[in-house]
Amino acid sequence: MRRSLPTALVVVVGLLLLLDFVVINPTLAGASDALLELIVLLAAAAAVAGGIALVVHHARNVIQRGDDVPGSLVLLGGLGVMLAAGLYPGSEGAGDPTVRWLVAALLAPLVAALFAMLFVFLLRATGRGLQLRPRQTAVMLAAATLVVIFLLPIGGSLGSWLAAAAGWTQDVAIAGVFRGLLIGVAVLTAVQAARILLAVDGADD
Amino acid sequence: MDLGRLVGDLLSFVGGLVGDSSLRLGPLPTLALLAVLLVLLSLVARPSTRWMVRDLGHLAAVGRAMALAAEAGGEAAFSLGTAGVARAVTASERLQTLAALPILGHVARAAARAGVPLRVTANDVVAVHLAEGTLGEAHRLTETEERRLRSRAEFTGEGRAVPAAAALGELAAPAAAFADGGVGEESLLMLDGVATGAAWTSFGTATVSQVASVLLSGEGTLVGPELYQAPSDLRAAGHARVGVLAANRLLFAAVAVIVVGSLATLVGGVDLAAALAGR
Repeated sequence: MRRSLPTALVVVVGLLLLLDFVVINPTLAGASDALLELIVLLAAAAAVAGGIALVVHHARNVIQRGDDVPGSLVLLGGLGVMLAAGLYPGSEGAGDPTVRWLVAALLAPLVAALFAMLFVFLLRATGRGLQLRPRQTAVMLAAATLVVIFLLPIGGSLGSWLAAAAGWTQDVAIAGVFRGLLIGVAVLTAVQAARILLAVDGADD
Repeated sequence: MDLGRLVGDLLSFVGGLVGDSSLRLGPLPTLALLAVLLVLLSLVARPSTRWMVRDLGHLAAVGRAMALAAEAGGEAAFSLGTAGVARAVTASERLQTLAALPILGHVARAAARAGVPLRVTANDVVAVHLAEGTLGEAHRLTETEERRLRSRAEFTGEGRAVPAAAALGELAAPAAAFADGGVGEESLLMLDGVATGAAWTSFGTATVSQVASVLLSGEGTLVGPELYQAPSDLRAAGHARVGVLAANRLLFAAVAVIVVGSLATLVGGVDLAAALAGR
């Protein structure tokens, strides 16, 4: 009984949404729209509850002088500044110029700086890959080197041949591998979704 | 009470509903979609024999990794990726977070038995809540509830770059590191951060564009569909086996459609793909 009610709810809601996806019917569309709105509301409530829990956790950390107090202070300060910028009287919310300035002047450069390290970390990961499985990583590196050579900015007939080879590699070899993986992922995704939809799942743990 | 009239009204109501309806995708795509449910239901009713088992993602060795972690006095780390469950990403990415939960359950049970603290990170409050539930269930199943508070699920912040930065900035090197679920362009940074100093790693994603990061960084890897297949290898319970068998049948069907469609296009100029896609 403890499991049967949520299971029945999952099955009914899942089948209703699937039916609405397959069949065009105003009654079904109304019911599924109402359910989706409820899900959005639940997700919003979970996000607010998560935010409050985060503030409580870090405030307690600061008050009790726990681990990484400066980190907690930065988090609380950042959260406060962002909320103040988005919620002050007359604010336009997420589209407010102050919020946009904070995002453009602080967040975007921080993210860009983080992603600028990708090249260094790619080299490091390559070294790690060569240690873990030398043969497979060597094949990956050889393929990557080939693609880099194909994309070299060279003119003349050699450049045209390289560009054609790069196009063929992308459209045939790489696209083939991607499509194979995507078909496998799509089938397993459909099965996983059907398992959740029919509640043939969840007992793994 | 006129039962005949009640049945008549009910039938006319259902008839009216059906009359107001039309197929959104056309007959062939609708049949293809319902075939997934049909194959799964047929297997639920009558499960077949075993499938071939491989050690996907080196997950069979999790017990040994946890024993070594316990001996070294270290902790284990598990990242649920950066897609979450309630975040604004594609449905296929969010489903990967759900697919990673049985793997988290397997790791959590092994950690609970070995007495190793497990630290789970996710950047979505719903995913964190699900991880908390999975940790609690693992300790309940292994009758180690007195160790429950040593393991924890943590929220690592909004945006995809934040978990990557948090993983890179983490000073404590875990004895065993896991990362399974949907990842984005931050994958290499996050996986490298999670793996730094770890004696044992297992990473997996079904995000095709990020597969190379997993292959380069992880000792055990779950690539593409393997993320969904791995839970079935961990526990040979009926429902898990049904998932793999259904997927195998659908993959065979997909290959057959590709071969027949290609032959039909070559021989008679019939575009099967267009009919299946409802074009």
